[in-house]
Amino acid sequence: MEKLGERALKEIEEATSLAALEEVRLKYLGKKGEVTGLLKTIGSLPKEERPAFGAKVNALREAIEGHLKEKTAFLERKALEERVKRETVDVTLPGNVPQVGSLHPLTKALREIVQIFYGMGFTVYESREAETDEMNFVKLNLAPGHPSRDAQETLYLTETTLLRTHTSPGQIRGMLDMKGKLPVRFIVPGRVYRRDQMDASHSPVFHQVEGLVIDRHITFEHLKGCFLEFARGFFGPETKIRLRPSYFPFTEPSAEIDVSCTICKGKGCPVCGRTGWLELSGAGMVHPNVIRNGGYDPDEVTGFAFGFGLDRAAMLKWGIDDLRVLFENDLRFLRQFEGI
Amino acid sequence: MRVPWTWLKEYVDLDWTVEETCERLTHAGVKVENLVYEKLDLSGVVSALVEDVSTHPARPDLKVGTVNTGEGRYTVVSGAPGFEKGNLVLLAVPSSRLPGGITIETRSVAGVESQGMVVCSNEILAGEEPRPGEDIILLPPGTPLGIPAQELFTLDDWVIELDLTVNFSHCLSIMGVAIEASALSGKPLKLPEVYRNWDWAGPYGSRRPADDPDVEGEWKVELPDPDLCPRYVGKVVREVRTAYAPIEVERRLMLAGMRPISAIVDATNYVMLECGQPLHAFDADRLEGKTIWARRARQGETIETLDGEERRLEEGMLVIADARGPVAVAGVMGGSRTEVSAGTRNVLLESAFFAPIPTRQTYRKLRLRTEASARFEKTVDPTAQPVAIERAAELIAKYTGGVPERGRTDANLMEPLKRSIPFSMRVVKRTLGAPIPIEKCKEIFESLHFAVGPVKKEGDFETMDVTVPPRRVDIKEEIDLCEEVARIYGYDKFEAKPLTPAVPGGPPNKEYVWFEKMKDFLVSMGGREVVTTSLLSPDDLLAMGWDESDGRSKGVPLMDPLSSSESVLRTSLLPGLLKVVQRNQSVRMPGGFFWETGRVFFPSREELPLEAVQLGLCMYGTLRESTWVEGEAEATFFRLKGVVETLLRLMGIEASFLPGASMPMHPGISARVVAGHSTVGEVGELHPLVKKNLGLIGNCVLAWFSVEAILAMAKEKRFTPVSKFMPVERDIAVVVDASVPADSVVKVVKETARDLRSVTVFDVYDKPPVPEGKKSIALRLTYNPSDRTLTEEELSEDRERIVKALREAVGGEIRL
Repeated sequence: MEKLGERALKEIEEATSLAALEEVRLKYLGKKGEVTGLLKTIGSLPKEERPAFGAKVNALREAIEGHLKEKTAFLERKALEERVKRETVDVTLPGNVPQVGSLHPLTKALREIVQIFYGMGFTVYESREAETDEMNFVKLNLAPGHPSRDAQETLYLTETTLLRTHTSPGQIRGMLDMKGKLPVRFIVPGRVYRRDQMDASHSPVFHQVEGLVIDRHITFEHLKGCFLEFARGFFGPETKIRLRPSYFPFTEPSAEIDVSCTICKGKGCPVCGRTGWLELSGAGMVHPNVIRNGGYDPDEVTGFAFGFGLDRAAMLKWGIDDLRVLFENDLRFLRQFEGI
Repeated sequence: MRVPWTWLKEYVDLDWTVEETCERLTHAGVKVENLVYEKLDLSGVVSALVEDVSTHPARPDLKVGTVNTGEGRYTVVSGAPGFEKGNLVLLAVPSSRLPGGITIETRSVAGVESQGMVVCSNEILAGEEPRPGEDIILLPPGTPLGIPAQELFTLDDWVIELDLTVNFSHCLSIMGVAIEASALSGKPLKLPEVYRNWDWAGPYGSRRPADDPDVEGEWKVELPDPDLCPRYVGKVVREVRTAYAPIEVERRLMLAGMRPISAIVDATNYVMLECGQPLHAFDADRLEGKTIWARRARQGETIETLDGEERRLEEGMLVIADARGPVAVAGVMGGSRTEVSAGTRNVLLESAFFAPIPTRQTYRKLRLRTEASARFEKTVDPTAQPVAIERAAELIAKYTGGVPERGRTDANLMEPLKRSIPFSMRVVKRTLGAPIPIEKCKEIFESLHFAVGPVKKEGDFETMDVTVPPRRVDIKEEIDLCEEVARIYGYDKFEAKPLTPAVPGGPPNKEYVWFEKMKDFLVSMGGREVVTTSLLSPDDLLAMGWDESDGRSKGVPLMDPLSSSESVLRTSLLPGLLKVVQRNQSVRMPGGFFWETGRVFFPSREELPLEAVQLGLCMYGTLRESTWVEGEAEATFFRLKGVVETLLRLMGIEASFLPGASMPMHPGISARVVAGHSTVGEVGELHPLVKKNLGLIGNCVLAWFSVEAILAMAKEKRFTPVSKFMPVERDIAVVVDASVPADSVVKVVKETARDLRSVTVFDVYDKPPVPEGKKSIALRLTYNPSDRTLTEEELSEDRERIVKALREAVGGEIRL
């Protein structure tokens, strides 16, 4: 019996595969196995020897089983390790790529702008694109014959209606909708139209963002502060602004707002004409007549307004040098805005 | 407006550099667009003495002289009258250069070697032959020899190019800019004597000096249309000689952007550039009668203008006329008949006020914008007509030896101006915010030559009356004065004050939030946002195949479009999206998924067109080409429909798809999307005919939605508890007529089954063994009640219910 035991353990030891090990198991512990055979001989033994013999055989069986289990675990682990070692892929092959869309840069720019103005308590007011001459011009101090009308080459629909040349009529419509409530703080983003041929910096269709604040105690200094916050939020915290006197019939005093060049950071480069500054926005204190036309009393409240080109802001932000690409919708252009 | 630097400095002695001056002017609203150094292409032209002169041996009309430049003596041949012994002249020595790329070399003139050339103004400034009657330049006695022409006269100079806003018409003159520079620098204004005598810059405008002779001019002036011309001043200068203005005057005109012509015309232009009042000179002897009318043109009248064009005048245009007819288009251009020419002996000068709007209308109609009309259309100083004419007469007398008549004709129907505006410090505090004291305001006003009255106390604020010079037509009310204070004080001196943050701003309205979410959903599904124009051609709409009854077939037209390709407003986003496909196919992009949101326009009975916001979607070609690991993704109806379904689901909108949408979609491969009992959009394959007309290739699918409709229906979903029990799936396949929509089969299942969580169509099959004209639809039903796991018994009961219902409702036979 000892010999049988030793032989079995040796064979387990020598088995190199799970199949060989199974053979060993069958040879000793199978129905016709040697150990099983030993147990079957128990009946031929004298009764008093049987318990001792039985215990011995069982001990032998348990020992073999234990070794088998150990060896099986060993071989299984080894087989797995070998399989893992065998299995490799070329990880440099491309993965399954999900299809990603993109927002147009104008939408991206506008979202950033809207976020900044939300932070300053502004809401978004959307106004119509087809307008009356009255709203687009007259209510903004641009009576017929005003020389500034020429600067805004207009696309008329009829004698009295037109495609808005700026988002400024949104000032009047927005104020009228506010019905005298204070404070008035909103931006009007939207599409505007001019009689311009398409080229690298002009388009008959483009976009503006108008801002309006009306309240008690609003001064020119607030205009400066508000726009500075916007410029820093949009172009980066280092951005500087500068105001120059300008002229718009619907603001007085009026200003042109420059921002420090986004490319050279104010050092001077071809983009800014070596001045270090980029013209961005018209602005000013809302003219008393315009405040009145919006249903407010200019003796009680003051306000400021500004308006700038969304297209231009987006172009400056992403270094786009030709306005036309914004409207061409070439996939090779659009793709670049994935994830931005 | 071009401002030559030296000319400006003549009126105000700035110690700033030209660059600094530009900076200061810009920051006070006089916007400098450009600073250029204008350099004549001129070298080797120097002062020289004619030492002796003799007649040319072969040509009696020419002279041969010895000319000394101090550095050498040259033998020069010339026929100019001024080429006489003892005269100081300008000699272009051999190898010198004149403008136009001309090089002067030694050359033989009728057998005599001429070492260079004595030159006239036209040769130096333009490199052109002397004009009729033009003599060589004679330098004043005492001029040192050998000095280059550029040093003798300011020929090379900086020019400040201004880009003026319309309110800065007072800077359409050098003296106007000088007033600004004087106010900013504190340097005094130094004007020519005649302007000082008339107090041109003063707060009340130009006024007759005490010694002005009270004499009426020889000519009569009639002003029948004072709304167009309320003031007309005339003055005669007699016995003028044909002459040219001095070279430095001619050069100044050139630097300012005008062409020198003759002494008389140049004098009028010089005065216009100097003070902003346009002038015109008539040959007095070619005028008929002794009366001038500033009147509206009559029907059928024509005029040949100075540029030689015969122009038809419209009734209502303002003309200047003599007894015979129009002699000038008022404020725009003079006529050829009375043009000043070489033979002119007597000149009638005109200095008038023409109303701005009619002047603009006239030059627009005639397409004839001139320096004069550019000033009249912005309103000229209504007091400056007499002083300007006096200055011009003075210059003409100086240049031509003419004799101005005493006094002048001044027909004046102008309303007296009231130019005093009360100014309260309240406006400074309220509008500007910065603590600018009244003394500073006063100083600013006075620096601009405004008159300031005594300071009074009115309520809490100090006030004063400010008298504004009439040339400042831009200043009408208190707020305008406030701007003057701000701009001279300096915008950069104002603080940047944040807005009080404690203001309830957003949140934006629900529609706006959903609108932006919708865009994010589309991006997450692979869509690329595009932005296309709202201006289309009628052909673009025609190409969509809409018939007349379709509201989209005719867009709102533009009255005066730039071109027919941009002449109507879009009625749909689809034409624009299809152009995006065209564009990308033209650059060989194999496929794409685009979407756009934007306004479309329809004619309405109201004054303004109807505006609606739409969402348009479009897929074409191969969205993703096959890779080593996956097959390709094609733009198909069901791919786009899947996007649409998902979009609506994410927005919480329940919708159904009814077969057959309108053009430009394929009638059999398209659906109307119905939600809340109305059509909110359509989705379908592009109609093959439209595809062919647009020259598109491959597959293309489209969809559009009314954004207003879907945003109104969008809603946040509520959380529902997840069942603690395992879901159970059962498949069922039903054979129905091919014409039965899958949707109706699904609907029956949904209505019949109990405890059903979802049902999906996982296969459709119409080949044998499925009988001809039939199709098999395979459905997967997922059951998952929240309170239990369904038993086999319950499931088979449900199955029987469904089978029965399908048989009754859609005639379906169960295959599985």
